Amino acid sequence: MNDITAGRLLRSNTRGCVVGCHVSQPAPVFGSMINIPTKTGKVFGLVHDIHIDDDGLVRQLAAAGNLPDEVILDNRINRNVPVEMSIIFIGYSIENKISHSLPPRPPLSLDEMYICDPEDLRNFTNAGHFGYFRHVISRQDIPAGELLSAHLQAASTAQKVGGNPNWINEAIQEIIILLRDNHELMTNVLGAIGDAFPA
Amino acid sequence: MADKNTEKTNINSPIGYVVGGGLKANLHIRLTVPAYSVQEGSFIVIKSGDWQFYSIATDLQLGAIDPRFADDKMENRLPPNIVSLLQDQTLYTNLVVLPSLMLESGPKLNSPEHTLWQESIDNGEKEQPRPLPVKTVPVHHAKAFLANKGNIAEIFGKETVDGNFVIGHTREQKHPVCINLDKLIQRSSGIFGATGSGKSFLTRIILAGLIDHDQSSVLVYDMHNEYGLDDTASDTGQNVIGLRSAFGRTKVQIVGLGSSADIRGLSPDFNLTLSYKDIMPEDVEMLTRELNLRETTAATLDALVQKFGRSGWFSAFKSMKHGKMIEQDGKLTPAPDSVAFWANQNGIHPMAAEGLHSKLKRLFNKPYIIENPPSDSIQAVTDSLKKGQHIILSFGKFESDLDYLLISNLLTRRIRTEWENMTNQFRNGKVSEPRQLVIIIEEAHKLLNREMAVQTTFSTIAREMRKYYVTLLIIDQRPSQIYDEVMSQLGTRICGWLGDDDDVHAVLSGLAGRDALRGMLARLQPKEEVLLLGWGVPMPILVRSRRYDADFYKEIKHSIKRKFDQKTAINALYPD
Repeated sequence: MNDITAGRLLRSNTRGCVVGCHVSQPAPVFGSMINIPTKTGKVFGLVHDIHIDDDGLVRQLAAAGNLPDEVILDNRINRNVPVEMSIIFIGYSIENKISHSLPPRPPLSLDEMYICDPEDLRNFTNAGHFGYFRHVISRQDIPAGELLSAHLQAASTAQKVGGNPNWINEAIQEIIILLRDNHELMTNVLGAIGDAFPA
Repeated sequence: MADKNTEKTNINSPIGYVVGGGLKANLHIRLTVPAYSVQEGSFIVIKSGDWQFYSIATDLQLGAIDPRFADDKMENRLPPNIVSLLQDQTLYTNLVVLPSLMLESGPKLNSPEHTLWQESIDNGEKEQPRPLPVKTVPVHHAKAFLANKGNIAEIFGKETVDGNFVIGHTREQKHPVCINLDKLIQRSSGIFGATGSGKSFLTRIILAGLIDHDQSSVLVYDMHNEYGLDDTASDTGQNVIGLRSAFGRTKVQIVGLGSSADIRGLSPDFNLTLSYKDIMPEDVEMLTRELNLRETTAATLDALVQKFGRSGWFSAFKSMKHGKMIEQDGKLTPAPDSVAFWANQNGIHPMAAEGLHSKLKRLFNKPYIIENPPSDSIQAVTDSLKKGQHIILSFGKFESDLDYLLISNLLTRRIRTEWENMTNQFRNGKVSEPRQLVIIIEEAHKLLNREMAVQTTFSTIAREMRKYYVTLLIIDQRPSQIYDEVMSQLGTRICGWLGDDDDVHAVLSGLAGRDALRGMLARLQPKEEVLLLGWGVPMPILVRSRRYDADFYKEIKHSIKRKFDQKTAINALYPD
C-alpha cells in the first residue's frame, strides 16, 4: 500500500468529499482511485475533479505581467490556498472486506487521503461485480465517460499485471449493460473509452 | 456471458433462454448462439423444472434493445472489440417456437427427489410419464436446447421398435425421425408437394415401409406406371428400384389394365379386364364432367336400369343402334333396336337417350371393357389383397383421366363392398379380422375435388372406412383442389414444398398452430425436405427425407432379417 499521504479531507458527505493538498505533494491525477483510512476501515473513491482556486495575491500577480520565475515559484510553493480534489465515493472496506456500496458514514475532516497502488486497485476491482460503476453512472454532475475511461485505463493496467487481461472486456460489457437503456450516455461513455483504448 | 458471435453450438449446451411468449403467441427464446446455428423447423427442447417442452422453431427475429443501436453503424466510431461487446449486449436474435408437447422428466437426475419420483412410478402410484399436448408454458429464462437423438426418439419412437419406420432425419443434427406405420394406416393420409418436390420418391419410401412391415395390404393406382418396375429418374438419370423388383412377385403383383397390357414392354402378373356387368350407373354419373354429360343422364340411366337391371343395362345400351330408322307406313320411324325406339318405349326423350349413347361411346370402345372376360379379374385383385399381397395397378397405355377415374372408382367401390362385408362378418364373430388395406391414389384432386367427392367412393372411404379397415393414401400437388371435408379427415399429412398459398392453407386446415407453420411450409427446400403434420405424428416436424436408393433397400433387408424369428418360423412349418 502507498503510505505517502496525498492530502487531507476538507469536507465530505456520504457520496463524496473534497480533499486539499499542497501543490508540492504527490497529488493524484483525474480518475485515480484513492482511499481514506477511517477508524473501522477505508473509504474508496475516484478523483473526478481537481481545482485550484485563486486568492487576492494571485489575482494581483496575474494582472502584473512579466513576473520573475522566482515569484511564480514562491507563490506556488508557499501558497496557502490548497489544491482541491473532488472525490466520488465508490465503496469502502471494513476489516479488509470490500463493499461497492456507499460508506456508512463519511470520513472526517483532515483525514488523510492516499493514492491506491495497483494491488489496491486489483483488490477493489476484483471484489463484487463492478457494482461501483453505478455510483459514477448515476451522478449527472460529473463527466462519467471521461472518469470511467481514466479509471479503466489504470485498472486495466493493474489487472493485466495481475494476470487478468480480460478484465477490461468484462468491465466494458458491464458498462454497456448498465447504460443500454440510455443510448446518448452510452455513446458518450463508449466514445471516451474508445479514445482511451484505441484499436 | 458467452460471445454469441463466436460460440460454437454444442449439442449439450443451451442455445438460449425463454424470454416471453405464450401458448397462443408461441414462445420467444433469446439466442445465445449465432442465429445461423438454428434454422426454421429445428426441433427445440426447453427444460423447465420437472418438465421438458418440445417445440418446433417457426421464426427467427432480429431485435435491438433500442432501435438506434441497430440503425447506427458503430464500426467507424469505436474500436472493434468495443463494437463487438456493444452488439452482444444490444442486438439479439429471438427464436420463435411453437410448443407442442410436454413431458414430465422428474426432479434432477441422481437426486433423492428423483429416486422417490421414480419409485412412485415403479410402484404404480404415479402414471408413467408420456408426452402430453402442451397445456402450460416454461418459466422465464428456462434453457432451450437443440433436440438430441434421445429427445427425438422420446417423441417419435425408436427406430428399433417394430412398426416405427424412419422416414427421414432432422435437418441440422441428422437424427432419425420415425413414423409409426400402424398409426399411419389407421386413418387416411396425404402426401403433398409441388411437381418435382419428390412426392413419388417419398411415396415409394413409405410404400416400401408398409410392404416391409406387412401389417396391411397396399393397392396402388399407378397412373404413370412408375411404382412397380424399375425406372430411370428423370432428373438424375439414375436407376430407380421398383417395388416389385425390390420385394418380388410373391409379395407385390403388377396388374395391367386390358387383356394385352404391357408396362414398358414387360408383361404384368395378370391383367384387369372389366365385364359389361361391372359397369354401374353411378360409375357413369361419376364421369359427368369428363364425358360432358347432361342433367338428363340420371333419368336415362335410371330407365335403363329399370328396364335391363343393374348388371344388364350397359350391355343392352351398347347394343342399341344410334339413329337407325326403318320405313313404316311410308314414314321413317326408329328401328326396334335403336336408342330412340327404346327411349320412346320408356318415356325418355329420344334426344337425351341418343346424346347419352353417343357420349358413352368412349366407354363402349374401351378395349378393357369386354362382354365375357376370361375371369373375374376384379375379384382376383380383391382376393390377392385379402391374402396379404400388394397390388400395383398399372394403367399402361390407358393414361387418360377417363380411364383413371373409371377404373379407380369402380375397383374401389367393389373393394369397399367386400371389406364392409368382411368387417360385418368379423363383428358377428364369423370370420377372422379383415386385413387392413391402404389405397394409394395419385392426382387425388381428380377424384376428390368438390364436385366429384360426393359421387366417388373415395370420399366415403376417407370419411368412414377407417372402421372397415380401409384407408387412403392420397398423393397430390394441388391440395387446395381437394374437397375440404376429405382434407379434414386426413390423419397424417406429409408435405413437401408448395408454391401456392391456397395449397399451403389447405394442407394446414384444421391443425393447431397453422399460422406459425404456414411460413415454414412455403420455405421448404424444393427437394427432399418435408413437414410431417397431423394426427399420425405426435407433433409437427421438419425432416429431410431418406434417399430412395440401393442403400435404402439394404437397410430394409437388414430390418427384415432383424425381425425374422427362427422359433416362430419353425413352429409355423412344423406345428407338431
